[in-house]
Amino acid sequence: MTEYIKLIDLTKCTGCRACQVACKNWNDLPAESTGFTGSLQNPADLSYNTWCLIRFDEIQNGSGMNWIMRHDACMHCEWPACVKACPSPGALVRTDTGAVVHDPNYCIGCKACTAACPFDIPRYSAEQEKIAKCTLCYDRITDGRKPACVTACPTGCLTFGPKAEMLAKADARAAEVQGVVYPRNPKYRTNVLYIMPKAINVAQLQHTNPNPKMPTTILWWKNLFKPFTLIGMGAVAGAAMLHYMVRGPHEPHEPENKEGGE
Amino acid sequence: MSAKKEGMVYVTSLQERIVHWLLAGSCLFALLTGLGLMFHSWDFIAALLGGHYAMKWMHIFSGVVFAFSLVAASIMWWEHCKFVPDDLKWAQQAGGYLWEAHDLPPGGMYNAGQKLFFWAVFVFGIILVVSGLIMFNPLAVPVVLARWAYMLHAASVMVIASFFIVHLYLGTFGNPGTVQIMFHGWATRDYCEFHKGKWLADREKKGGEESQAS
Repeated sequence: MTEYIKLIDLTKCTGCRACQVACKNWNDLPAESTGFTGSLQNPADLSYNTWCLIRFDEIQNGSGMNWIMRHDACMHCEWPACVKACPSPGALVRTDTGAVVHDPNYCIGCKACTAACPFDIPRYSAEQEKIAKCTLCYDRITDGRKPACVTACPTGCLTFGPKAEMLAKADARAAEVQGVVYPRNPKYRTNVLYIMPKAINVAQLQHTNPNPKMPTTILWWKNLFKPFTLIGMGAVAGAAMLHYMVRGPHEPHEPENKEGGE
Repeated sequence: MSAKKEGMVYVTSLQERIVHWLLAGSCLFALLTGLGLMFHSWDFIAALLGGHYAMKWMHIFSGVVFAFSLVAASIMWWEHCKFVPDDLKWAQQAGGYLWEAHDLPPGGMYNAGQKLFFWAVFVFGIILVVSGLIMFNPLAVPVVLARWAYMLHAASVMVIASFFIVHLYLGTFGNPGTVQIMFHGWATRDYCEFHKGKWLADREKKGGEESQAS
């Protein structure tokens, strides 16, 4: 199966929210009752029923102001912390398309992924006792179609295609607009990429992680303490058995030694 | 239940034994379910217990029992497990477990190794309970704290699980006559002289009858 990348060109987003609606539509997600919060951003945050959200940021740069609309959804990490943290086999899986998908049938609602994710993406519903997030429309892309958000996007901000092709396209577009590709860290790759406009620093935008990586605590948990729990127990059990064979049970000695303690 | 028995000494009270087994049982069940949650390849544990969702709640409830029995055990054994100068002498000779020791001080209720196990369970048990509470709702705390909770939970398990194997060995095969104390409370007089000489002498000095535990 081909690995895909979704490219989000922020120089082309007009904040129309067609992606947000298409996501709800395709994934059968109910609308949320919301109020005005002083921003066009609505709902205010991602949720169990909102997997894709256009965020609005007003950024003062010198004398000018940039108004940035950003399509925010799962970044589909190549090495996903959520999958690493997940205790239930099959609940969170990175597929060979590059999409990291959750399966509500296997989710046990432990919330470990919500803490592990470097982008704060998985959302928990206490009512359902499960998490939910963007699946990169795994059901569509394995059927040869594009994710719903990409299909709906009218400006060409969202594009989708095979990995190599999209990486080249991202580099070319970044050079064209003198922006940067984010995140473009050889040590932390994602199957979702942004073209950041020239004037904008990722750190200025809400709900971003300028330096995404697998959290060190999660690494230590899964790669160190997890195996060493078994190694420790096994080593000690081996040592105990050896002790029993070499030294034998710890008992008062028969005559050969003087009795201790008196 | 603790009527006098010829040649036997009543070492642990019924209360101590109940608390011990509540602590041990909840700890072991939490370890079993926790391993089942941590190792995907051990999903036979979940299969036996009715699936991962059921196992999550079993893990949480055994953690609650563990927390309460840890409090009870700490109150009960705190005084017994304070280190005394003799413990250093014991430790220097590894309690006579690894080589012939000729200068072991007569033991109190617990030896330095047992005390160390108590403090390990106390310290790492508290870390387990506190981190477990955070893991119950990681969304309620800053994400950095939540991640530390997951890591410290696993680190504490590593320590306690290894200590547990030592405890299991020394409480059974390693020291014949020990495990019975945790079932019916009685040990032979020879056992007490060998392992708990000072404790036995002190008790007899006080004129305590063998029907009086600890």
